[in-house]
Amino acid sequence: MNRPPLHHDLYLIAHDQTGKPLIHLSSLGVGLAGAVLLDLALSGRLEITQGRLAVYDRSPTGDMIADSLIPVILKDRDNRDVKFWLKKVAEDVYDRACGGLVAAGVLTRVTRRRMGVMSQTRYEPADVAPVVRARAGVRGAVEAGEQPDARCAALCGLVGVLRLESALHLAQPSGPLVNRLRAIAREYPRPVNEVIGVVETLISENAIALYR
Amino acid sequence: MQPQENVEQYGYRQELRRHIGLTDLVFYGLIFMVPIAPFAIFGQVYSISKGMPALTYAIGMIALLFTAASYAQMVKAFPLSGSVYNYAGRGIAPPVGFMTGWAILLDYIIVPSLLYLVASMAIHASIPAIPVWAWLLFFVVVNTVINLRGIRMTISLTKALITIELIVLGLFLAAGIWALLQGKGHGFSFAPLFNPDTFSWPVVFGAVSVAVLSFLGFDGISMLVEEAKGGSAQVGKAMRLALILAGALFIVQVWVAALLVPDPAGLIAHGDPGDTAFYDTAEIAGGSWLAHVTSTATAVSWGVADTMVAQVAVSRLLYAMARDRQLPSFLAKVSVKRSVPTNATLFVAALSIVVGLWMSSRDDGVGLLSSLINMGALIAFIVLHISVITHYVIRRKSTDYWRHLVVPLIGMAILIFVVVNANILAQKVGLIWLAIGALVLLVLYAMGRRPTPSGLTVAEEQHQ
Repeated sequence: MNRPPLHHDLYLIAHDQTGKPLIHLSSLGVGLAGAVLLDLALSGRLEITQGRLAVYDRSPTGDMIADSLIPVILKDRDNRDVKFWLKKVAEDVYDRACGGLVAAGVLTRVTRRRMGVMSQTRYEPADVAPVVRARAGVRGAVEAGEQPDARCAALCGLVGVLRLESALHLAQPSGPLVNRLRAIAREYPRPVNEVIGVVETLISENAIALYR
Repeated sequence: MQPQENVEQYGYRQELRRHIGLTDLVFYGLIFMVPIAPFAIFGQVYSISKGMPALTYAIGMIALLFTAASYAQMVKAFPLSGSVYNYAGRGIAPPVGFMTGWAILLDYIIVPSLLYLVASMAIHASIPAIPVWAWLLFFVVVNTVINLRGIRMTISLTKALITIELIVLGLFLAAGIWALLQGKGHGFSFAPLFNPDTFSWPVVFGAVSVAVLSFLGFDGISMLVEEAKGGSAQVGKAMRLALILAGALFIVQVWVAALLVPDPAGLIAHGDPGDTAFYDTAEIAGGSWLAHVTSTATAVSWGVADTMVAQVAVSRLLYAMARDRQLPSFLAKVSVKRSVPTNATLFVAALSIVVGLWMSSRDDGVGLLSSLINMGALIAFIVLHISVITHYVIRRKSTDYWRHLVVPLIGMAILIFVVVNANILAQKVGLIWLAIGALVLLVLYAMGRRPTPSGLTVAEEQHQ
């Protein structure tokens, strides 16, 4: 893979420079899961049509999370849908994505004491360049007005539904910016907009969950 | 695959992890019902039932066991984590589902107001220097902040809170029984269960219309059907168990308390405007410390624990109806940053302040709110019984007449009798609420937004 996995870029955009997540982890988990599925779909491994998944290519992508998902989908005799798989992947994707970024040297573990007593572990970017690059693709798509590729459109859509627009540091009002990000994703109805629509539904359902 | 696991045939997918066992379901029902719920409304139930609160709770439990049986049937037919709104919409017809959702909305959106008011009055009984309205604002603000920060009840927190409530109840019962043995109160008698001098069916059913409040929340277990390890069968069992357990606890505590009431004739004649009758009996049983412990436990269990659960329940109903375009869409908006239904939470908080402050200024505030809430729930439960008959006997031609016809008919008859004998003002408000609902339904039709529960396609609708 020439470019980093989509979920790596989303993870970097979704955290500040101290490694603090900008949104609730239940929402972020679903977003990262959407990024994993979209990566597989956009690389031709997976076909997503009307909520159903079909594996077309079993060759590894180089991303551990995505590569471990393909055999599980193949074993699924019930032919479960995108919603199911998003929830399944979301269960541990946050920790796995973080681990992957640490292994790649993008994030570094930092332990501090809060108020001099409680220790707190965060994963800060080791270098600001990957964060800037991750944001740059989305910023470019919004500002340039040119048609981005499907991967960039997917990232735009995910940033939009996860309400991470403030992380782009664009001098634009929030509402129109989110609308623009969603409009970019809609240029690719399948699979980008379809998966992002399900991500949005699951974010709402998580918000009204009885237990979490 | 078992029938109850076929969530997908209703347009929904099996999304939630099945990891909640029978005990967890029962505990969830209990935290919603509050095992010490009668502490707060004991005086009213005692007064309206003319000294027979144990009989009142026993009848309430039996009535709702029939309702639980109908819930079990509808959960089996439609294993969706919705509410009676879903079952009536699918079991009878979408417009009926809307009206049922509207009826139960009266229950759900007013419940937080009552919880805040009861908690405020309970803590005011311990710390009278701070007025009820100030406590009410305090509870609303604390809970709204908790909810907006995305803090949610967990299974372990539920168990811990139930344990604490049961310890407080155990303390009261031990002290109460000890006090009776020491000759305090009126000594042991069956009068709280049956008193031939004061008994009449309208009196008892009028009291049931208030006491049934303590059982509301057992239906919340149905919202966990997609997460329950044992599916819909386990949910039905959990509802029955939770109701029987809560009913037994309610009957025992009100029985002991009734035997310790200092002035039975006065309480029956004048009611309990301060809602402190139970704490007065606790004081007789164990002294002022027990009165403070029971009132503080009521404040925490109603004002914090139950409110956290109720807030999520009302958010889910508002979300479901708004998602189906039957309520304004802003109620379905959620905060991604906090993962909370912000608009629904703020809406309920604002409503709770207005209704709570208004009711805190009335002597019959708690009673009236309870009656209104019960009215909404009872109407919805009656429709639930009709849903069972319509879905199974009329549509599916079921020959299991006991479960699909007799049980719903008996349950419905009891509930109708309770509604008929309920507070007149509550009946009027309930009817006005339903009339408004019918108007809203007409407007929705006029706007071309006919009610269709999510996932229910037109084809399915026609097929039904």
